[in-house]
Amino acid sequence: MARIELKNVTKRWGGYYAVEHLDLNIEENAFVTLLGPSGCGKTTTLRMIAGLETPTEGRITIDDTVMFDSELGINIPPNKRRVGFLFQNYALWPNMTVYQNIAFGLSNINEPGVYVNDAGEVVRDGQDKSKLTLTKDEIKRVIDRVSAIVKIGPFLERYPSELSGGQQQRVAIARTLAPSPKVLFMDEPLSNLDAKLRLEMRSELQRLHLSTGSTFVYVTHDQMEAMTLATKICLIDNARLQQYDEPLTIYSQPRNLFVADFVGNPAVNFIEATGVQNASDSSSSIELEFLDGFKGKFVPESGVDLEAWHNHEAKLQAEDEAKRRGYVEKTNKDLPFKYNIARVHEPEQTQTKQLTHNDFVIGIRPEFIKLSDDGKIEGEVFSAMPTGMETTLKIRVGNFLLTAVAFGEMFYKIGTKVRMDFSGHRIMLFSRENGMRITNGELIINA
Amino acid sequence: MSNNTSRPGSLSKRLNRVKTYLSKPQNAILLALGIMLTITTVFPMITILRDTVLIHPGSKDAVGTALESSFDFGSEKLTSYNWTNLFTGTITTRVGRTRVTRSVADVYLWTPLLNSVLISIFACFGSILYGGIFAYLVTRTNLKCKKYLSSIFIFPYIMPQWTLAVVWQNLFNSNVVTGGSNGLLANMFGITMPQWWCEGIFPVSVVLAIHYAPFAYILIGGIFRNMDANLEEAATILNSPRWKTFLRVTLPLIKPAILSTILLVFSSAMGSYPIPHYLKLNTLSTQYVAMKGDRIGQASILAVIMMLFGFIILIINQRTTSGRKNFTTVTGKSGQTSVVNLRAWKYILSVILILTTLATGILPIVLFAIETFLPNPGDYSFLTNASSLTSKWWLTSENITESGMYGNKGILYNQQIWNAFAGTLFVAICCALVAGTIGTLVGYCVSKNRRSKWAAYVNNMAFLPYLMPSLAVGVAFFVVGSNMGLYDTFLLLILAGTVKYIPFASRSALNSMMQLSGELEEAAIILDIPWWKRMTQIIIPIQKTSIISGYLLPFMTCLRELTLFMLLCGQGRIITTMLDYFDEMGLYAFSSGINLILIVSILIFNYFVNKLTGASLDSGIGGGKK
Ligand SMILES: Nc1ncnc2c1ncn2[C@@H]1O[C@H](COP(=O)(O)OP(=O)(O)O)[C@@H](O)[C@H]1O
Ligand SMILES: [Mg+2]
Repeated sequence: MARIELKNVTKRWGGYYAVEHLDLNIEENAFVTLLGPSGCGKTTTLRMIAGLETPTEGRITIDDTVMFDSELGINIPPNKRRVGFLFQNYALWPNMTVYQNIAFGLSNINEPGVYVNDAGEVVRDGQDKSKLTLTKDEIKRVIDRVSAIVKIGPFLERYPSELSGGQQQRVAIARTLAPSPKVLFMDEPLSNLDAKLRLEMRSELQRLHLSTGSTFVYVTHDQMEAMTLATKICLIDNARLQQYDEPLTIYSQPRNLFVADFVGNPAVNFIEATGVQNASDSSSSIELEFLDGFKGKFVPESGVDLEAWHNHEAKLQAEDEAKRRGYVEKTNKDLPFKYNIARVHEPEQTQTKQLTHNDFVIGIRPEFIKLSDDGKIEGEVFSAMPTGMETTLKIRVGNFLLTAVAFGEMFYKIGTKVRMDFSGHRIMLFSRENGMRITNGELIINA
Repeated sequence: MSNNTSRPGSLSKRLNRVKTYLSKPQNAILLALGIMLTITTVFPMITILRDTVLIHPGSKDAVGTALESSFDFGSEKLTSYNWTNLFTGTITTRVGRTRVTRSVADVYLWTPLLNSVLISIFACFGSILYGGIFAYLVTRTNLKCKKYLSSIFIFPYIMPQWTLAVVWQNLFNSNVVTGGSNGLLANMFGITMPQWWCEGIFPVSVVLAIHYAPFAYILIGGIFRNMDANLEEAATILNSPRWKTFLRVTLPLIKPAILSTILLVFSSAMGSYPIPHYLKLNTLSTQYVAMKGDRIGQASILAVIMMLFGFIILIINQRTTSGRKNFTTVTGKSGQTSVVNLRAWKYILSVILILTTLATGILPIVLFAIETFLPNPGDYSFLTNASSLTSKWWLTSENITESGMYGNKGILYNQQIWNAFAGTLFVAICCALVAGTIGTLVGYCVSKNRRSKWAAYVNNMAFLPYLMPSLAVGVAFFVVGSNMGLYDTFLLLILAGTVKYIPFASRSALNSMMQLSGELEEAAIILDIPWWKRMTQIIIPIQKTSIISGYLLPFMTCLRELTLFMLLCGQGRIITTMLDYFDEMGLYAFSSGINLILIVSILIFNYFVNKLTGASLDSGIGGGKK
């Protein structure tokens, strides 16, 4: 029930940027996950929206209220932002019982016309404007409702130290839900739970999102969690926004090598390639050489002019650099993403090669490596990990290792020869020079 | 027992069980420590109790017994006179020309008892307020000069107790109000402070509060530093007003630290002798000293009452720390602590704190130093005439009776003083070594047997002396020592010091050992590494700093201890009693000089031990360091 808008928000400690010029629009009723490796600035972002951290600059709006604006000097304190926050380690008050923990926030409500409706929800714009606080009875009804949602009814009189991790987690959720916040922030709420419970809580959070209709902003470093829960993922690395899109878009159309690598399990296969664009070909295909001797033709899904694409990217980069020149220098420098090429033996040394427009990285999701008897590439099973539903295979091609997923109950013996193809038209082509994805397309291997 | 014989295996089974139990070194040590600590702690207490029913030749009870009944107990003659007389007797005193009859209890018991309790309560209250606010400001706000402030704030605790009392006198006394020479304020500005400000409950409470505030700061600050900031933020997000967050969330979280502070301060304040002595308040400890001449038995009753307070505090502490609400506030994952912005107040508060800490931490040193250059005590004529300063108190190298030296050589040449100083060092080193070692062992063994009742008992026995007012422990060892002919020997001093200071070491060792995972040692046990090797190569290296802290605190405290030792030896044996002697003689330049030497050497020791080993008084007292 609330929109959130971040404009050019930055948080830095000295020259150390935790969040750098972040623009983000969170729609009403969205379930947005902030995803990224540890230390990339997710928690800081969340805390800034909630008001627990003061941004160095920028502007934050929730609905139509400006919550923070560095230029106008507006900074609404966290207790006036009417948001819910679920802390990573729950932050239950050890000196209060579960009931008291949940009741505490309800007893703080002080707004004209507040009451509890028949469903047990806190409503803030009632008729009776002289009623400012909730009665004991109303508080009890709210607690009855939320404790039923997260199933903690039997524990209300216990102290947090007398609960298991999962139960504490539920209490924390109940405490956050009780005052019916319009936005709910969650900071890695499931990371302290065991795998099975985590899965269970995940689906409960999803249901909760539907039933409350609140906007959820959810921090996680687990890409699987982000993929499964979010309506939109905001992927951050080293304080910078990498991509903000729906999960499947992020998965199939990553903006750069980092995004492609971070999302997806098992991880994407990267293959270095060199080649030139066929000037004559109407499909603007590119002739590539890769995997020590294989040759093939990459056919983009829609026409691409490499030269123009590079010029465009260079212009964007120059603009970005020009913009950043005015700012305090970033001590946590942005380094080019080091993608990993899986090999059987690591090469002795990698001489740094001068990269040109003709250097590419091909990204192939494991499910696009199709094993078939008449495949054009021959390899050897290096390892096989069956889960029952599918088998993750590492296949050796020369010195390279490719990850493939084979569905169905099959048995692969290590060392057997297999043949495969790269199927479909969602093979990704990146520029090795700047790490950005150029386009998706089909990779046809020459016989 | 008789059916033991019908089950022949049972005795050997029991023997085997004992053997298995003792085969673990920590159990054997625990058993030995338990027995030893019981003797060293309980025996002196019993001795005092016995002393209250003994007949002391030349004392009131010897006279009184003739009137009342006595009874034979074995070969000894015991009397209940001391008790009955103290509680029901009357005495006649002369007030001017008239003779007034009052009850003994009123004069010797109730008044000092009330004063003792009051100053203890005020000291707890004041130190928690002062130290707690300071802890909050240093750990949770953007105060300026935190580093300087937090190191100088603990000076008053490092320095001898009476330092601030003496400074108080030097500042505020005036001939008109208190008699004697004028203090600094009266001298320089002609300001005379009222009687209640200069002597009695008020100054004693203030000085005690300042002296013990570092306890509160270290303990409460430790929690503040490690407290999960999310707990407060969660309340803020739920729209809780600041005062409510403080009352309902913050305060309950620091409650354990507040209780610990009360635990430590209450009985320390009650047992303090020098502060009420200097600031002229009649408390149990000063009353004891006044009565030990002719009412020894009744004085011992006062000591027993002081000990009772120690027990009461221990019981209250156990009541409050066990229960469902018992929790740890310190989480492994420490969230970012948000710092409260004080805005302009950060400068104002910093200046106020810098000035107060200068007054309590640096001013005493300066005043003592000045005092040693004054021609006569309280003669501040150098303010107008610099040439009146003298170095005679330091440099006189021959025996002269004139110029107020009364035949004493200057401090630098005074063999007596340096002997006493050496004596103090010797006692302090021995106490530190023995108390530190035993305390560390107690900490180790108790942490290895967390659930065992016996371990809890040993831990309590090791801790009990802490809750016993110093003077009471001193009395106990005085009685024991006189009975065994140990009076005025180093052995007695070391014995008393060791028993009194084991708690320092055992607390600090236990605190840190509890955080040590048992698996570290178990990994070595599986490899069949012998116990002594596990200790010397695993446990001790890991716990190095906290163990050294366990040695440091007894050492420091010993250097400046007066209350505990003053009954146990002659005045020339150690430096603090020597100081007391010069004070009584009115040779304030000498006592100030000794104070100065003591304070400076303690600060130097503290500094170097801290720099070299990282050990600190903080961790000795039990405050967490980040
Ligand atoms: N109070 C602080 N002072 C300095 N650096 C901080 C502070 N809080 C966080 N950082 C740094 O900012 C970066 C982002 O932190 P955070 O948002 O907590 O990361 P995460 O994405 O893991 O939640 C981290 O590298 C962290 O070290
Ligand atoms: Mg985080």
